[in-house]
Amino acid sequence: MPLIQIAGSERFAYQPKSAEQTRKLASGARLHTVDDGDIDVLDPLTYEVIRHRLAAIAGEMGDGLKRMSGSVVVTDCNDFGATILDECGDSVVVGLYNTQLAASVDMAVKWTLENRSRQAGFHAGDMFLCNDPWVGGGLHQNDVTVFAPLIHDGEVFAWTAVVCHQVDLGGVSPGSWSVEGRDVFWESTPIPPVKIVEAGNIRSDIEDMYLRRSRVPRLIALDLRAKIGANNIAQERLTALIAKYGARTVKAVMKRMMNDAEARLRAKLQSLPDGAWSGVAHQDSFRHSDRNVYKILLTMTKRGDSLKFDFTGTDKETEGFANCTFAGLRGGIMPIVLTMLCGDIPWSPGGLYRCLDIVSEPGTINNCNFPAGIGKASVASAWATQNVVSECVAGMLDVHPDHRKSLMCVCCGTWDLAVLAGLDQRGNPFVTMICDSMAGGLGARVDQDGVDTGGLNCIPMGRVADVEINEFSFPMLYLWRREETDSGGPGRFRGGMGGSSCFIPHDSPIGGVHLVVSATGKALPQATGVSGGYPAGTQYDVLKRNARVAELFGAGRIPSTLEEIGGAADILEAHLETELGEQDVYYTHWQGGGGYGDPLLRDPVLVARDVGARKVSPSAANDVYGVLLNSDGSADETATRRRRTQIRCERVGEPVPNQAAE
Amino acid sequence: MTYAIGVDTGGTFTDGFLASTDGMLVSAKAHSTPPDFSRGFINVLGELASAIGSSVEELLSKTEYIVHGTTSTLNAVITGEVARVGFLTTRGHGDSIRIMNLEGRYAGLDPSAVQNISRTNKPAPLVPYRDVIEIDERIDHKGAVIVPLDEQGVRAAVRKLYDDGVRAIAVSLLWAFRNPVHERRIREIVQEEAAELYVALSHETSPRIREYTRSATTIINTQIGPVLKGYLAPLEEELRAKKFDGSLLIMQGSGGCVQAADASKYAVGTLGSVLTGGIVGCLRLAERLGHRNIISTDMGGTTFLAGLVRDGKPSTTTTTVLHQHQINTAMVDVRTIGAGGGAIAWIDGGGNLRVGPRSAGARPGPVCYGEGGHEPTVTDADLVLGIINGDNFLGGRKKLSKELAAEAIRTRISEPLGLTMEQGAAAIYAIQNAQTADLVRSVVVNGGHDPRDFVLYSFGGAGPVHAVSYSADLGVSEVVVPLGSTAAVFSAYGLASSDIVLTAEMSDPSNFPVDPVTLNGNFEKLEAELAERLIQQKLRLANVVFEREAELRYTMQMAEVTTPVPGGMLGEAEIAGIGASFEQLYERIYGKGAGFSDAGLQIITYRVRAVGILPIRPDLAAHERAITDPVPSSIRKVFLDTRKGWQDTAIYDYRALGSGSKLSGPAVIEAPTTTVALPEGFAGVVDTYGNLIIRVANSG
Repeated sequence: MPLIQIAGSERFAYQPKSAEQTRKLASGARLHTVDDGDIDVLDPLTYEVIRHRLAAIAGEMGDGLKRMSGSVVVTDCNDFGATILDECGDSVVVGLYNTQLAASVDMAVKWTLENRSRQAGFHAGDMFLCNDPWVGGGLHQNDVTVFAPLIHDGEVFAWTAVVCHQVDLGGVSPGSWSVEGRDVFWESTPIPPVKIVEAGNIRSDIEDMYLRRSRVPRLIALDLRAKIGANNIAQERLTALIAKYGARTVKAVMKRMMNDAEARLRAKLQSLPDGAWSGVAHQDSFRHSDRNVYKILLTMTKRGDSLKFDFTGTDKETEGFANCTFAGLRGGIMPIVLTMLCGDIPWSPGGLYRCLDIVSEPGTINNCNFPAGIGKASVASAWATQNVVSECVAGMLDVHPDHRKSLMCVCCGTWDLAVLAGLDQRGNPFVTMICDSMAGGLGARVDQDGVDTGGLNCIPMGRVADVEINEFSFPMLYLWRREETDSGGPGRFRGGMGGSSCFIPHDSPIGGVHLVVSATGKALPQATGVSGGYPAGTQYDVLKRNARVAELFGAGRIPSTLEEIGGAADILEAHLETELGEQDVYYTHWQGGGGYGDPLLRDPVLVARDVGARKVSPSAANDVYGVLLNSDGSADETATRRRRTQIRCERVGEPVPNQAAE
Repeated sequence: MTYAIGVDTGGTFTDGFLASTDGMLVSAKAHSTPPDFSRGFINVLGELASAIGSSVEELLSKTEYIVHGTTSTLNAVITGEVARVGFLTTRGHGDSIRIMNLEGRYAGLDPSAVQNISRTNKPAPLVPYRDVIEIDERIDHKGAVIVPLDEQGVRAAVRKLYDDGVRAIAVSLLWAFRNPVHERRIREIVQEEAAELYVALSHETSPRIREYTRSATTIINTQIGPVLKGYLAPLEEELRAKKFDGSLLIMQGSGGCVQAADASKYAVGTLGSVLTGGIVGCLRLAERLGHRNIISTDMGGTTFLAGLVRDGKPSTTTTTVLHQHQINTAMVDVRTIGAGGGAIAWIDGGGNLRVGPRSAGARPGPVCYGEGGHEPTVTDADLVLGIINGDNFLGGRKKLSKELAAEAIRTRISEPLGLTMEQGAAAIYAIQNAQTADLVRSVVVNGGHDPRDFVLYSFGGAGPVHAVSYSADLGVSEVVVPLGSTAAVFSAYGLASSDIVLTAEMSDPSNFPVDPVTLNGNFEKLEAELAERLIQQKLRLANVVFEREAELRYTMQMAEVTTPVPGGMLGEAEIAGIGASFEQLYERIYGKGAGFSDAGLQIITYRVRAVGILPIRPDLAAHERAITDPVPSSIRKVFLDTRKGWQDTAIYDYRALGSGSKLSGPAVIEAPTTTVALPEGFAGVVDTYGNLIIRVANSG
């Protein structure tokens, strides 16, 4: 049935309010505050000592969560967030973890201030749990936030929050990854903020309600304790900080940190010319068997010291599981603001958001209403939002002689998801997400190439597992894992290469494995270039049925190409659930980063070097870069000059001049 | 009577320490002599010889062993002056050393560098593309041969590399640690093709699961092996020519030493060599003082290092990051957490005062050195505040300019912030202390410990200037400033008092509990290998101890926890006990209730350490007893505490203080190697070895 907004869902469709409004709306709670005078009297020494300690506390929360969690995405991939917020729910400091997740924690806290201040109320030792992306706190239901008010002298002094991805919270398909889903009711039911810890004790009724929906309740219970533990660490350390320096001083530092971040971002924006930049992000499927293309439109306007993101014209929300809520939209903006605009500015989103103005129509794919499906929001419409924001911000930075150095073209266009399930080589049931595509290519920069297999820009410290660890843990055998030639977007500076993994089921007692594939960017590239740079290649996933791997192995050969592998090629659509048989081969090729500048301007020496290192093929060197090589692999300057003239003429439809006379 | 000698080669000085079987202790210093560090080595022996009134030959003829801490391999990696290496690996996986699990883009970087993601890069690949050759062969996770080795392909690869001028080959195949048959055959083929080629095999260099780190370790080992050999072989020859008949032992990063010949075979083991002497010295001192839990800090001019000793044992790590490359080598876990006295104070884009992480380094160094530095550093602030004495810095070896320091602080820090010059300096001092407390705390807490259970040892020229202040913030109970006659050559003392330590390990991943036959078989094999290698050390050992450990984890995790394993034949009950120890350890490190038993356990790597106790164990030199109460050498205004401001402060010359001397703050103690700041409210006493022991009240 078509998506019809559910009556009664409106109050969960949250738009965050300013501190002043929040203070009024949270009338049931006493909120601690300071005035500008308190901020003005701070001396530089006290400010810096407390600022450093607040950052250290955010780090300790993150380290604590990593130590205590049982989820690999947390312990090894740094895919989580840790935040300290002020009394009004503005984020003061976020850890260097998943910046998408840090982008919407403030919404959940503000909603809670507005809606829970009388009942259930805020007392020492209380903590709230939320996985409702309409409320905020995460981008899809798998992102579960636990946040706690810090009570000092009976007042809400601040909030601490941690969030991370939980592997399964129910819904139609394992991993809560329902490729055939049409609306949110196919997915995990969102939980708005509920008091999970009361006066220091876990409420078992609420915990049971939470765990009952999961296929892996024990792991979820473990991670819940990890999140509570991480909040406890922060609360204890903040309490000691207040005891040492006084509540007013600590709070004044928190406010000044946000003011400082705001002032510095404003100063940077002020130094950039005014203008508007626009772009479109495409997604080529919203669910299994869907072949439509969906657009996110952005016009980003910089005027004075503020930045407006206007998404007007974006496609209407659609059946499927790839929409995102307003939290997802913000999760598409803040990572780029942090990583591209704030490389040298403290990560205090509460201050940074004040420089941003967001215009978006509810009911669109990146600001959807309930009950639109959002199961893969974080790597679907939120990610696509991030791509178009990235493109526009890069375009803006590019006009400034210094700031352009911090731009990256669009990084790894989308997440190439592969979930394997079945019986492992020891006969135990397993479900896992192969995280190889975390090694995507980073976008090119104005003065150098993007980092090959460098990661994702929203997770500064991502990581992939070794091939041996995957083969030890799961019934699979890799034919290769490598960087892929021509996968980086061509440009004067080339985008970082993406890579590919090619593997077969190996050693499972039942032969094959169950496979879920979910990745757009197959019909059109998503990692766009900047200033004439080309996009990175598309995602490309191929399933070879009845391949001849066994025969090749018998002959002492390891195949290096899909052609060599033989069998029937099934080029996979974006969303699919299928079986990978004993004789089948799965090839997953994730995206690189976009290129910067016209590839015809690339130094031919660099192109020759790339061909020598297999980063660029000789044919791409000729066709895209216009570079021809001598037999020793060096660039043929004369032939290159002619070829480039020829390409330039072709581009504008003019006849190619006779170059023999040169 | 025979001698044991420790020689510690650092970047600037080469320190020597000599102990005799009848209790004589002598120390000496010489300048280091890069690039040929062996000159400094021989020079310091000359200094020791003349101190005991003998010739170098006479000294060496009576020396049973020399333990040497060397910087040669680390230096080679840092300067990139290493051997060219060809790399052979399984077809389909040659890119592993370029993908670097992607963590190579940020590994080992300071958080401020990680935050600026668009400026991060991976290092150049360890081996350039043209020198990486993939070979058809495949072994699976069980060690089964899936595709036999393409011997013709190996021959062709070796010939190509040889013809290109490559003379060293690193081989790292998938699952070779599980079944080394293909790696071994490759070595045979290489030797058939070109006998003079040096070959390293991953299952020998680093028999541990995870191909990226194993390959990186094997390659680096192949790159620096020839460097170490090229340094040690002539050195040993020269020592032999000077009548040395004993053993030349090289300190390993793992906390013990091995014969020079062994060290070259496993050169990555020496990457942490220079760090270890200090930790061993720290352990010996702790044994004397009865301390079990120590935070060892060393704040010099350019770095701030921190390591932990827990229950009398140094905390160790099995992997380390070098130039953003992840490598497997057992090392005492000493972390660089700051920039030392050279940390630069600066005003950020928001007009806020910051200290570090950037350092003025050794050149130009702090502004007060007068060597061209313009950016004020922590050392400049220490000088301006009167804590360190510009005329008596490091025993007067370096004159410092207070005027230059004050000018830099005034113009670059104080005036932009609207402060007086002194206020700016005081802020730098206090920020440095508060940040150090934060950073040391994170090292302790991340190890699963509580700082309140620790004593802090403060080494280094700049350390004791700050230690008492940040220790109070950290909450440790006591600060020890090692002084006394041994202090100046503390690492060399540690070297001379160290043990032989040999390590053998193998990965044999399986679910846990593992059957007793497998487990006992693995440990017996490792112990037999070590027993053989111990015999080859040809040393008189006071005792030999085998220590077993295994790396376990919860199924699905990517990281393991090193768990102690009892010796002897183990039955099912004892094996279950290993699992219980793992879970206990896990809870201690990761927090109560953090364990996930429902996931099941896996055992990944088995390891045995053989510790051979060397026969000479030098004591620390005793310090002369005080006969009178300590008398200040002068009184000057010093700024030690922002709450107190400038105070008349007693300045003591350490050399005039006998053991038993009691001091109370505010005071400054000037020793030849360092300066100790004792703020008001703290008291210290000189102990029988000449160390200054300071009780710390917890100020939170």
